Order: sequence, then structure tokens, then C-alpha cells
Amino acid sequence: MPETLAQVTDISARGYARPEVLVSTQWVEEHRNDPKVRLLESNEDVLLYETGHIPGAVKIDWVTDLNDPLVRDYVDRARFERLLRAKGINSDTTIVFYGDKNNWWATYAFWVFRLFGVEKLRILDGGRLRWADEARELVTLVPKYPQGNITVRERDDAKVRAFRGEVEQHVKRSGKLVDVRSPEEYRGERLHMPEYPNEGALRGGHIPGAKSIPWGRAVTPETHTFRPATELRTIYEAENGLGANDDVIAYCRIGERSSHTWFVLTYLLGFTNVRNYDGSWTEWGNLVRSPIEKP
Amino acid sequence: MDRETRIAWLVDHYHHPRHKGALADADARVPGGNPGCGDIVTAYVKAGLGAGDRGTGRIASLTWEGTGCTLSQAAASILAERVNRDHPSFEEILSFVPETMMDLLGRDIAEARPGCALLALGTLKGAVKTVEMNRKLREAGHTDEQIRELRRAIAEQGEAAGVVVGEGAEQAAAAS
Repeated sequence: MPETLAQVTDISARGYARPEVLVSTQWVEEHRNDPKVRLLESNEDVLLYETGHIPGAVKIDWVTDLNDPLVRDYVDRARFERLLRAKGINSDTTIVFYGDKNNWWATYAFWVFRLFGVEKLRILDGGRLRWADEARELVTLVPKYPQGNITVRERDDAKVRAFRGEVEQHVKRSGKLVDVRSPEEYRGERLHMPEYPNEGALRGGHIPGAKSIPWGRAVTPETHTFRPATELRTIYEAENGLGANDDVIAYCRIGERSSHTWFVLTYLLGFTNVRNYDGSWTEWGNLVRSPIEKP
Repeated sequence: MDRETRIAWLVDHYHHPRHKGALADADARVPGGNPGCGDIVTAYVKAGLGAGDRGTGRIASLTWEGTGCTLSQAAASILAERVNRDHPSFEEILSFVPETMMDLLGRDIAEARPGCALLALGTLKGAVKTVEMNRKLREAGHTDEQIRELRRAIAEQGEAAGVVVGEGAEQAAAAS
């Protein structure tokens, strides 16, 4: 490990509600040949895995693997089960997600896996960046595993996923909303470049009543690891008035960054009722007559 | 080209980008970005095929700067390589449809990230339009300073409508 690298506090000493959902780079190093552990790399960068990945890790792509190819939704149970089995995942496999962008896409995959009730999910604290910063090994060899035997349940969207109608009701009740996009997006200064498809919206701004808490605030920039619980409580509770028993809906553009915040609130701070609105701004900002605040 | 070879080709362009860097005497410098994922590509376009041939509606040279994911940066490098080889007309660039770019990069990969795959092309089209519009404005008697002022005003109007174009593109993408 490079001598100048910022040190990381032990996960167990950071005061998280569910510390077992995080594993350290050293833990992964020690378990990467464990047949009961499967590393899944989930990135925004569609080719990053191919440039090198943690030995033994397999790739999971949010578009090609997790999204339904036709309808804006996630894959169904049968397709999801086939996917997991193809990755060599068994019912007793511990799945460790990691990825680029401070685990933004890793937590997204985690959230989708939870829709199907998959247990034994972990996040590599610090993600791909921390692993690389520690000069740990990255390889291009794609591993092959025997077909797994996991059985997954039907997707349950009720507990951790919010739909448009539910958000509309939530707004009317003055429920707690967290906009995790950048401040520029929150203020409605979105980008538009002509002649290429983006995931934008016709209107800029934010859902009325939403607090602006960019997702990246939950991460310590120097180490890419999650901030300790005391710092997270300052951000989410003291500064923005959220409480562990509040009904909270997080959103961003398509529900990816907000899954990171969902993970932080649910597992690191122990919030009991957090949902991710994956329709997010690409739905809300295109809806006719949807209420918008700006800035 | 099979998938494995195509991936190796894209990764090579990412690691060894062609025509990357600012172009001092560019006729247009246009930034573009994906605010969702933070990719940035800035296109520098010089028009005409040589001295005294400015404004003929053909690209003499294209360079680019950028940061972002493997696909967005590889696509910029591949596009720059093609443009500097073929020196296409502005019309050819503007009629270069996204589907062709997707085919060039490999649909199986590009369709998973269309915004990243098409960022460089969209930015290049924006640069070509800028060169063309500047030429028309000069022909109409506007000075370079007046043109800059017009563009500033357009950008401000865009911001009021919730749209960020030009310079703001970099900040918007970088802030994601």
C-alpha cells in the first residue's frame, strides 16, 4: 500500500446501524478465492471492467443486465434468476458489490437485488477507487464459474421503491424528500446538448419540498469510503432535519445516485422507511403539470 | 470485428487517445457534457483545408479535450481519427446520424450507454454549427466581439429556460 495513502478507520468503529453490510479492501483480498463469496463489479463506465478488475470479480451492467429491455422497469424474476445463476451465485453465496464513482452503481445494483429479496449483500467500502489507490491487483482475465443454484423471490416493489403516484401523495403530505443530484440540477440548470440523446427532462428544478443533499456528501473524498455515522447524522439529521423513523423518498435523475443515499440512510444510519424513486427527475421533469420548485 | 477485439480497440483508444489536446487556432471551441455521469468532451474545430481556404465548409482539423468514461473518451478519439483522415464537409458531419456512430463503436456496447457513445458526435456537430453561424454573422457585418456578445446573451436566455449550453456544459457535467 502506498505510504502516503489516507488511512481508513475500521468499519466496526464508525458507529453504523448495520456495519456488516460493508467489507473492507483487506477483507476482499482475503476472501476473493472463497467459493462462497462472489464479487460483482457494477460501473457507470461500461468498459471499465474490461480495463482491469479485482481478480475473480464478474461484471454486472445496470442497463444490459438489470433493466428490462423494452419497458422502463427492472427485469422480472425469471430473468434475474438466470442472470444470478449465470454469475455462479448460489443460495448461500455472499455477494460483494463494488464499482466506480464511489460505489454509486454498486449501491444501485444492491438496491435492485434487494427488490428481489436477495440476502447476504455487501458493499466494498471505498469501491474500485480505494482498491486501486491501495495498488491492489487488477486483472483482465474474465473468470468462469459453474452455473449457480440460487432461487429468488418475485420482485417486491412495495418496501424500497417509490412510484410517481406515491411521490405525488408524499408531496401533498409534506413528506420528507431528498434530492441527491448536484446543486446545479436541483436549481434547474440542467445540461442540454443538441442532437444527442440524453436522459434529461423538459423542465428543470426539483420536487416541491425536497432537500438538496448531493449523494457524494456521504463519502470521505480522500479515501472514497463512507463517512462515519456521526458525520452522516450531521449531514442528514442535523442539517436537513431527517429522522430515523421518517418516511423518506430519495430521488435523482433515474434512481441511481439516490440508491446510494437509500443505502446510507437504511444501512448506515438505520432509517426504517426509505424508498428510492427511480422514475426520478426524468419522469417528474417531463410530466405535464407536475409541481416544480425552482430554485 | 468480434466483441472482444472491439473492446480491445476501444480500450486502446481510451489509453492512447488520438488528436487529444487544444487547437490554438481553432475556429470554434465547443464543450459538451453529460450531467448525469460527468463525461466531458470539448471539440476544437478548424475549418477549411489550408491557408486561405477558411469557411469552405470542410473540417481541416479536429482536436479534443475531455475526461470521463472509457466509451465517451474512446468515441472522441475514434471520431477525431476519422475526421482528420477524411476531412469531411460540414454537411457530412451534420448528416452523420447517431446510428452510424453506434455501429462504428459497436451497438452491443454503445446501446448500453448512448449518451456516452454520442457525446463526441453531438459536441462536434455543435462546433460545426458554431463555425457556420459565426461565418454567417461575419458576412452580415458583425465583429468577433459582437458575436461573442450575442453568444453570451443566448447562453443567458438558455439558463433562464433551464438549459445550459456552451461554457456551462463543462461545469454542469463536472458537478454531477
